[in-house]
Amino acid sequence: MKNVRFYLIFVVFAALILTGCTSPAPTSAPIATEAPAATAAPAATPESAPAAEGVTLRWRTRPDNQEEANVYQSISDNLNLDGVTLVYEPGGSETASYQDVLKTELASGTAPDVFWIPGTDVADFATRGLLYDLRSLADATAGYADSDFYPGPMFHLTFDPATSSAGPALWGLPRDVSTFALYLNLDLIAEAGADDPRELEANGEWTWEKFLEVAAAVNALGSDVRGYGGSAWWGPYGVWMNAAGGNFFNADRTACGLDTPEALAGLTFAQNLYTSGVAVPYGEDPEPPFRAGNVAMFQNGRWATPGIRTVEFDWDVVGLPTGPAGNPGNWLFWGAYVVNANTAHPEQAWQLVQALTTAQTQGQVAALGANIPSRVSQEALNAFLTFTPPANNQAFLDGLANSPTAEGPLWAGSWPEFVSVMDAAVSSLLSGQSSIDDFANTVCDEANKAF
Amino acid sequence: MTPRDTFRFSLQLLLLWHGILAAAAAIGAYLAATQAFDLPNWAHTLLAILLGLSMAASAGAAWWLWRRDRRGRNLSLILNYLLFVALLLLWFQSFNFYLGINSLANTFGRGVPFLLLLLIGYVVGAQADRFEQKPARARFFTRAGKYIALIGALFFLYAVGILAGLQSFLARFSSLQALALTLLLALLALMLWLAWRPGVAQALSARNSDEEMLYGLLFLSPNLLGFLLFFAGPLLLSLYTSFTDWDAFGTRNWIGLANYGEIFGLTFANLQSPTQLAREVIDITRFDELARLNLFGKHILVGAEDKLFWTALRNTLLFVLLAVPLSVVPALLLANTLNAKIRGMSLFRAIYFVPTIAAVVGVALIWRWLYNSTVGWINYIIAAIIGWINGLAGAELLSDPAIGWLSDTRVALLAVVIIASWQWLGFNTVLFLAGLQGIPKSLYEAATVDGAGSLAKFLRVTVPLLAPTTFFVLTTTTIQAMQLFDQVFVLTTPPGGPGTSTTTIVLYLYQSGFREFRQGYASAIAWVLFLLIFGLTLVQFQRQRAGADA
Amino acid sequence: MKNSLRWTNFLKNLSIYLILSLFALIMIFPFLVMFTTSLKSASDTFRFPPRLLPREALSMEVAGFAEPLPLYYVDVDGAEREYVLIEKNVRVGVYAPADDLAAEQVRELALVKPTGGESNPQSLLIAGKQEPLYDIEVAGQITPMIQVRRTALGRFADPENLDRTVLQNLRLSQPVDRLTAHPENYQDVISLHSMDRSLTNTALVTIIVVLGQLSTSILGGYAFARLRFPGRNQLFLIYLGTIMIPFVVLITPLYQLMVQIGWVDTLAALTLPWIFTAYGTFLMRQFFISIPLEIEEAAVLDGANRFQILRRIFLPASTPALATLATFTFLYAWNSFFWPLVVINTGNAESRVLTLALSVLGGRAADSPNLVLAGASIAILPPLFIYILGQRFFVESSTSSGVKG
Repeated sequence: MKNVRFYLIFVVFAALILTGCTSPAPTSAPIATEAPAATAAPAATPESAPAAEGVTLRWRTRPDNQEEANVYQSISDNLNLDGVTLVYEPGGSETASYQDVLKTELASGTAPDVFWIPGTDVADFATRGLLYDLRSLADATAGYADSDFYPGPMFHLTFDPATSSAGPALWGLPRDVSTFALYLNLDLIAEAGADDPRELEANGEWTWEKFLEVAAAVNALGSDVRGYGGSAWWGPYGVWMNAAGGNFFNADRTACGLDTPEALAGLTFAQNLYTSGVAVPYGEDPEPPFRAGNVAMFQNGRWATPGIRTVEFDWDVVGLPTGPAGNPGNWLFWGAYVVNANTAHPEQAWQLVQALTTAQTQGQVAALGANIPSRVSQEALNAFLTFTPPANNQAFLDGLANSPTAEGPLWAGSWPEFVSVMDAAVSSLLSGQSSIDDFANTVCDEANKAF
Repeated sequence: MTPRDTFRFSLQLLLLWHGILAAAAAIGAYLAATQAFDLPNWAHTLLAILLGLSMAASAGAAWWLWRRDRRGRNLSLILNYLLFVALLLLWFQSFNFYLGINSLANTFGRGVPFLLLLLIGYVVGAQADRFEQKPARARFFTRAGKYIALIGALFFLYAVGILAGLQSFLARFSSLQALALTLLLALLALMLWLAWRPGVAQALSARNSDEEMLYGLLFLSPNLLGFLLFFAGPLLLSLYTSFTDWDAFGTRNWIGLANYGEIFGLTFANLQSPTQLAREVIDITRFDELARLNLFGKHILVGAEDKLFWTALRNTLLFVLLAVPLSVVPALLLANTLNAKIRGMSLFRAIYFVPTIAAVVGVALIWRWLYNSTVGWINYIIAAIIGWINGLAGAELLSDPAIGWLSDTRVALLAVVIIASWQWLGFNTVLFLAGLQGIPKSLYEAATVDGAGSLAKFLRVTVPLLAPTTFFVLTTTTIQAMQLFDQVFVLTTPPGGPGTSTTTIVLYLYQSGFREFRQGYASAIAWVLFLLIFGLTLVQFQRQRAGADA
Repeated sequence: MKNSLRWTNFLKNLSIYLILSLFALIMIFPFLVMFTTSLKSASDTFRFPPRLLPREALSMEVAGFAEPLPLYYVDVDGAEREYVLIEKNVRVGVYAPADDLAAEQVRELALVKPTGGESNPQSLLIAGKQEPLYDIEVAGQITPMIQVRRTALGRFADPENLDRTVLQNLRLSQPVDRLTAHPENYQDVISLHSMDRSLTNTALVTIIVVLGQLSTSILGGYAFARLRFPGRNQLFLIYLGTIMIPFVVLITPLYQLMVQIGWVDTLAALTLPWIFTAYGTFLMRQFFISIPLEIEEAAVLDGANRFQILRRIFLPASTPALATLATFTFLYAWNSFFWPLVVINTGNAESRVLTLALSVLGGRAADSPNLVLAGASIAILPPLFIYILGQRFFVESSTSSGVKG
């Protein structure tokens, strides 16, 4: 028995190995054949090109949920580019380190031809020579104009670090844009007897003071109820800085601007929200308590809409309150499709980038409710307004219209380095562990090393 | 032909083979040295060196075989074996075996139901042991089990696609390269067989020690070769990288110890007053303020070139200091309790082991949900307990702390400590239990006769005799704790947050290498971590030694 | 005397059991939460205070309403009743006489009239502020009162008699619910995130790594334990030393190696490098060394070769060590995360293992913990199941490492 068992295991295992050498299934063929070819160093591609009849382009973007991944897949399947086979690879999620994987692959030459990156990473990627400059291809394309897209993202996407000016380069085209709004729990606000923020906004009275009033009224309903919730990253606290007239950087984005009086005023307001207990504690994800019905105003981008749609209370959105500088200080978030500098087929890649950013494609993605088209077109915006709930979709478009600060990369320094210093300092400030004076005295000494 | 003639013939064949091999290797080495192949530079160099060595070895083998020296056989066997393995690996590659694991996974799921049949066969076969007195019945069960298992295996293989696999396997022989490789392999196998035969060994008057050495090398070879390829090689490359400024794209520029200098770069400055600003006393373009010390009324500011490394180091050491005792001391006590012979102990033991087998990623996702400060269970339970105590006392003795487990920079690390200790506790308990069961009962009985209480018995008998187990548990737990990564990566957003309160050394290494493209620096951090772990283990080892001697 | 001894023993045992049970609860509770949450619906997941078992709120068809109405427990004159919610956010005011603010009365805003009528509203000067007065009827008597504050309540009605209504705070009301289960969460996770493929991948990787590592470790361990060859001791010391090297040291160069041989994003990268470990070799060597030499010498005299000795004598004797190594390797292969994270593209479902799929799921379904925990269950339950089946084997064998190590 022992002998038989021994040989049986051995034979099964050997047979399994044999089975393993089955040719890969046809569906996975492009990936399986492309990967070794790409690793053989870029020089080897001419040799492998004749083998494939047409051109195979791999492209990737980071979907926030599975529905989005499916839409991108169907877009990839339905796009008709002459002689080009498209392979869509959904990237990881935010927490599964989309950029880390991408960078690793870029470093080893296995990255896709076209990929999406967040706006803040464009400078880092471009100055390292990882992105293909599409300018000459774009100039030769009839009907293409930079001005078809929002100017904020396009400033950075056309920035040429060599001449330090916008225009001469083209690193990619924005996939979509987004802004912050406040998601409202209308039941809580009514129970607190507070004014409806939407009415206040319509009357032009939606200011920091009113915001605090509403938040405090709701907060008084109980110890587990909070007036406001914002996530722990630079977006939410940056809004208060912007609304107070401050900014992360100085005017030409070459040095830290966190210790200006305006920026400090915004942070002081934010710190007060947290230390007074009106806000969900800094660092705690405010989405679960909001969806549990315990937070009145939840600050987040359009991307949170699909998740919020499942809640059982009455909800809507409203624009951000106006700060001392006279505007709500919103961000314009964006990410762009860019082309791998080492792609073997730049022309086709450029076609793909254009095809992925047409009004029609953007409409398909925006229909899910998580994105806003990045093209400046009234038609696209009108379509966006129909994607309800929330009823007040206009709040997002107002955010776009009220001259938001475009999130932007640092051409003169390292954004990841800057943001890690800033996040740590702000986090200790907002959780009440350091005072605003400590913050003002030290933050720029450290943050300026990023330049 | 007499046997003598056969051996002479074998030797002549081997001689011829090694002559040809040496010549071929020489030509190959020359071609590689002149970069004739379509390979990267480093591969050419490596190839040239390997072929050069093969040439020398082959020539040496030929020379010794000519002289009828037994070492010739050893060398010939080793060389041919290594060549065989190298070609086998290439052969696997050309038959798509490695990437085939993926296509196996495509169809593997289909065969799983038949694996059950295999299991049933095993169970049936095992029934034979119950009928030792009735050989006929036992034989029946054995045979039935065998056939059931065999049928299961066949069906399994068929479902997984053995036929398609065989087909493509055979189809690959049509390529000239595959065919040539196969023939070469067969030739090498023949040479190995020729040299291996006992008759040849006798003819060359090989000794027993030769045989033992060959067997030893043969047995060790799979492990050793894999170890060299996947471990030692990368290890040396990593050491080299740590002395360069490599950014993952460009060339590796040798910068000596600069990476290590940056990691350990510290500066100290005297402060006029405890609140004096850092920029007034240290060069803030190079250093960041790390800490302020108060040494007997003298205020000193410590600046670090890489503040985050020191933060990560502090977090890691703090984690080790908390998580190791928390997962070892309760484990020892629990094991001691479980060691008593009362009913249901095996059930408890089984339950305590459960967290050990759960995937860290899954566990971290569960705890992330439990830790949620507003809708999570942990704060809810704390609030309930406090409410109960207040209700008992009839007054507001305690207030609900509403701890921000993952949002408060002061407790986030503690949250990670709790998860890790929770997960390691059961494993350590089981290890201790095994150690306890190895302690002879007679020692306890002797202690009882001496009038020792249970505490005295625990301290005088259990603890000293458990020292080897304790050493093992402490060492493995410490090493594991020093390399904390998974829990933090999944649990905290952003990983290492809030702020930098849970950034560990490994996480920092990952961020420097794969997020900031500082591969050289990341390698240096990795080696610093190794030295730290090595040092800690050495200390524990010395202490155990000292304890054992005393 | 005997009785008291029995009592002390009983109390002692009881306290031991209590402590052990407490720890057992701590060990098991997270898994309980995982499993029950994975059966909840999305809205039930975010309920506070949290409840262990999945529940769904009951609703009732009521004539005159298109949608079924949710049922709540309401307080009617001190008794608890099950009423349906017919209107949300009914605006009400809280009113009180100016001279007795504690005597609060709750009235719907729409039903309250200002004192003196719309044409001639009366007001009272309180603390420098004009407070309008309203006519509030209490027990048949109308009193002018001021509005203390406003709020919104839910209007609940007796399903048998819709005219019988009660106003009550909706947020604090307890919905009527019953136990339920949503096993379709598992289906969603499997189909949307191809968890089944990840499960297969993980299983395959685990099988190959365990079998491969066992074979190389047995052979290597035997060579180190019993066969003399030049450089053996030095080599063994190097092996020992490398056990302490943290894996992260190797990440970058190993990744480069995978790139060079084209294994990035394949299961080969997850399996083959892990078949050869110093740790397994060390473990087996330690065990083999403890087997008496005499048995082996007898076999050598019988003319058995080394393979036969290893298979006939050493393997049968070393079941505990093999089981230990298999357990360790199984746990490692099943749970490894860092290396797959680096070498497998997280978006590639073809080569994704469970831990990776889980981490992606944790991000993509961050807003539905029920799905995330269903995914976690898929990753955790199979090894748990195997463990329960072979519990004795698992635990007892994994203990021998402590003794021999």
